[in-house]
Amino acid sequence: MGSETLLNENAIKSPAVKAWKEKGGKAIGTICCHVPEELIDAAGMLPVRLRGTGCTDDSEAEAWMSPFSCSFARAQFEYLLNGTYDFLNGIATSDGCLLAGRIHDNWKYAGKEKIEKEGFMLSMTSTPRIVESRHTMGYYKEELEALKADLERVSGEKITDEKLKASARKYNETRALIREMYELRKAPQPAISGTEALELTLAAMSMEKGEFNKKIRAFIGEAKNRKPPAAPRVRLMIIGSAIDDPAFLKIIEDKGGLVVTDVQCFGSRYLWEPVAIDDSDVMGSLAKSYLERPVCPRILDIHDELYKLYMDMVKDYAVDGVIYVRMKYCEIWGGESLLFESKFKEAGIPLLTLEREEIMTNEGQLAVRVEAFIEMIEKEDR
Amino acid sequence: MITAGIDSGSQNTKAVVLEDGRIIGKAKSPTEFSAAKAARMVYAAALSDAGVSADRVRAVWTTGTGRTMADFADSGINEVSAAARGAHAAAPGTGLVIDMGAESSRAVRLLEGGAIRNYEINDKCASGAGTFIESMARTLEIAIEEMGPCSLRHTKDVPMNAQCVVFAESEVISLIHRREKIEDIAYAIHVGIANRVSSLVRRVGVTDNIMLIGGSAYNAGLVVCLSNELGKPVSVPENAEYISALGAAARAAEKSARQETGAIA
Repeated sequence: MGSETLLNENAIKSPAVKAWKEKGGKAIGTICCHVPEELIDAAGMLPVRLRGTGCTDDSEAEAWMSPFSCSFARAQFEYLLNGTYDFLNGIATSDGCLLAGRIHDNWKYAGKEKIEKEGFMLSMTSTPRIVESRHTMGYYKEELEALKADLERVSGEKITDEKLKASARKYNETRALIREMYELRKAPQPAISGTEALELTLAAMSMEKGEFNKKIRAFIGEAKNRKPPAAPRVRLMIIGSAIDDPAFLKIIEDKGGLVVTDVQCFGSRYLWEPVAIDDSDVMGSLAKSYLERPVCPRILDIHDELYKLYMDMVKDYAVDGVIYVRMKYCEIWGGESLLFESKFKEAGIPLLTLEREEIMTNEGQLAVRVEAFIEMIEKEDR
Repeated sequence: MITAGIDSGSQNTKAVVLEDGRIIGKAKSPTEFSAAKAARMVYAAALSDAGVSADRVRAVWTTGTGRTMADFADSGINEVSAAARGAHAAAPGTGLVIDMGAESSRAVRLLEGGAIRNYEINDKCASGAGTFIESMARTLEIAIEEMGPCSLRHTKDVPMNAQCVVFAESEVISLIHRREKIEDIAYAIHVGIANRVSSLVRRVGVTDNIMLIGGSAYNAGLVVCLSNELGKPVSVPENAEYISALGAAARAAEKSARQETGAIA
């Protein structure tokens, strides 16, 4: 299976999703990295990460959510309202941020008919915001038990420990393969662009992982034999709010900067750190692995781990500059720069802040900012 | 060494011919529909102003929003880099350059040697750009050149709150209906725009030696309001609207000199 095939899998209703549905499979939409996909997979269903990629009009959703709210959440809700996600049999969300919760709350009413007549699953997992507390792990485990029960109901399948362990093994393989794909980007002349890497993780978000693992393994094999392009003018890392739109990264890369790595939940923060399953407490260990990962600043006592991750990434991927992309009105990442700006400054790493909205309207402005940043990093080297 | 810089702006295209750091020719023309045509035209006019032929020009660099359209150019630089380089060439020691174009504004903080420390660009909205003043001049039915001097004859402060060009226009109309004096309204408009540009400037950090460039720099009312708002003097260099073109020409000269040195080595 060639890389071309996998790169074509990043559309919302991808060929893989269509094929899954055609053979009668059920699909569950997920919102936030704190919904363990392993549970959905173990129930024999396809997890599909909800996104707003390519949304050009969110006026329906604006009737439900204020224009002064995160447009990423609004775009996802628009897609729920306009039928883009009609292939889903349910949604599992976590209260990753307030607006993720609002999608759930609004759909409770807007999707009432589906929920009541078609048995559409609507499940909300409350994820603690602190890792180190005597209550949190037990609480999160209980929440995941509730999600598990919901999934068993809609799938008609019992999620046994054995099934869950098999899913975790499969997912850990995906994690290792995604890391291997990122590993290639450490090269002085990386053969994979940031845009392409995002297309690959997006493909992973709507494909059964056994199939994805086969395809990405083939892709990695091909990429290793690619003729490396010229060395990039500057190597960039993207951090911040969710970026589910390869076109956004393409604007940056068209200006001469190569995105070599990222800390954002549609990239490296999706599947990376392996899940460690303890046979004596399978659900408890799943909860622990998911809660302890440095995903995003929503977890209050994980900031030091996040800073360490940024700095390790900068070093490992030889990053020349960091672009912090903040979704307008992002509750989680909005004020985060106040905390990390000084850290990048101390380390002498140039930082550019960009504000993004899901419906892309200011490509020209974005290009000018990025280009100036690239020229600033290059200084007088040209 | 002779080089040229062309600044292809959204409203006007400017060109300078530079010989050993000195501007020997310049020209300007509206960009209109074809940025390529305007670039060719102003380049020819600048050469003629300088009295030199194209074959004596070592390199032509472009900048500005339409810079890739000038297919005869050798290379180009971004608007931010051009403003910084140009300001440093015009007045070494410039700490902060505010480039107010027709459609966008930029604030660039410089390091001592002229390199960029950080920068900000206005986003989407035209309320901090030259077009805003032009649009308000139309509403007040006075010439754009009159806006600045007119505002400086104000006798009282009239509050004006709208930040959007469209809303500001209706607010100005309300002020006209309230029989406020045209000078006071013009002043309120300048205070408003200076306020918006200053918020951009504050994001990069206010410092000494502030320079305002771009066509709007010729507006004395704006200079006064900006300097009041920032609490620091704002200087306007000679050839204020050619500074970015100068930056492009200066970079062309640097690059050519480096290539020459490299070739000798």
